[in-house]
Amino acid sequence: MPLELVNSKVVKSTLAPGQNVLARKGAMLYYTGDVHFIPHSMGGAASGMPSMGGVAGMAGRMMSGEHVAMMAAEGQGEVFYGHAGLYVEVIHLDGSSMLTVEADRLLVHDGYLQSSIVALTSQGGVRGAVRGAMTGQGLFTTQLTGQGSVAVLSHGGAIPLQVGPQHPQVVVDPQAYVCHIGNISVDISANVGWRDAVGRGSGEAIQLKMTGTGTVWVQASEQKF
Amino acid sequence: MGLEIHTPYTLPVNDNVPGNDYAFCVELDGQPWFTSKGAMIAYYGNVRFEPLGQTSMPAIVAARFSSPLYSNDWVLAQGQGKLILGDRGFNINSYDLDDGNLTIRASNLLAFQPTLDLKQSIVPGFLTLLGTGKFLASSNGPVMFAEPPLRIDPEALVGWADCPSPSHHFDAGWMQNFLGAARGFLGANSRGGTPVRLHRRRDRPDPVEREGARRRSPAPAHRVANRHPRAEQSQGAPQHHRVAVAAVTPGAEPAE
Repeated sequence: MPLELVNSKVVKSTLAPGQNVLARKGAMLYYTGDVHFIPHSMGGAASGMPSMGGVAGMAGRMMSGEHVAMMAAEGQGEVFYGHAGLYVEVIHLDGSSMLTVEADRLLVHDGYLQSSIVALTSQGGVRGAVRGAMTGQGLFTTQLTGQGSVAVLSHGGAIPLQVGPQHPQVVVDPQAYVCHIGNISVDISANVGWRDAVGRGSGEAIQLKMTGTGTVWVQASEQKF
Repeated sequence: MGLEIHTPYTLPVNDNVPGNDYAFCVELDGQPWFTSKGAMIAYYGNVRFEPLGQTSMPAIVAARFSSPLYSNDWVLAQGQGKLILGDRGFNINSYDLDDGNLTIRASNLLAFQPTLDLKQSIVPGFLTLLGTGKFLASSNGPVMFAEPPLRIDPEALVGWADCPSPSHHFDAGWMQNFLGAARGFLGANSRGGTPVRLHRRRDRPDPVEREGARRRSPAPAHRVANRHPRAEQSQGAPQHHRVAVAAVTPGAEPAE
């Protein structure tokens, strides 16, 4: 059952027996029916990072700030999710492409979506790691694949921007970046001079260049959460 | 649509400022209102805000406002004019209570007419309104109305009308699984979780939920109305208990 928006800040998931829904821990607002919640850790060790299972993997995720505890909802009923009054956007995945989102922006997703935590170094080598460190994104992002729906959080609403084929490149402020879907490569473009070092720069020295085909969501705010 | 500049004649009477869910305009015409301290954004006319300890209408305060715990957070607004109220950028709605009773989180109650009685609820942090009149409530996000039985994150609970005995529900299953998560943290199994985070307020998980108990006896007739379509639906079923929920209450701190 896909996730449904109730209003701009709340999403509803309808649970049937045998299904489960993964959500950020503490994001449940209320529920009806017979539902239980079980702590769940992101399957970072399962794929993408075979060498980083167990304690080491978790320590790495905690250090990188990528560790947001999740919980699974099981049973039968309707569960309503929201977090800190932030806006919620529901994105439907048709199975053909992968959604990349930071864990702290992930509110809910269908349990049958595959999730993995991926080190940025595996995407862009050292540049990826540099990007994570410089933009404050951390060294890991969450990737979701399969058919189903995902709810992501944004401050003030997420704006979808198409990348390709007519517009091959979109440049995004790293703090405004929410998530992206499709075949997009992300590259950091840093143009840091002495002015930035003394606080007299333009404030836009670090930018994310998104190229390829797909969609990028941005928020009209630089607030992190 | 151009920029609209408001005047005392174009501002609405007891309604949201046009196009703005976060500001509300109250008309004062001699009858005072209780308003929470700091809620005033602007006013036209001749309006006075009197602390409850030294108002010019001590009889009304004594008769209507019986909550010593919160009396320092409230003032009596009186005079003539248009008063615009706001609260931390939260959505504001007005509700009419018709010989009813309604309990609301204290930090979500913004103003009420002195035709209503204010009492301190037995549930800490909540206030109860009794009688007939208007009140304003703020919420971080639109208010949703739900019918018990249901379980609510206590931080998301705004209030309830006529609802018998809310109670805490502790999920024993969660705690068992939590021990499993702690074992995972120590490497004993592959499932992970961070026990430390549970103690942080923002991450308070869901094992504590407020339970709206089932109704036991026929409720006295009451009506909670506001101008939103959702609530108009609920007007049709005046005998039912309702619980109001918003995305997050003001009690929870905003995102860092």
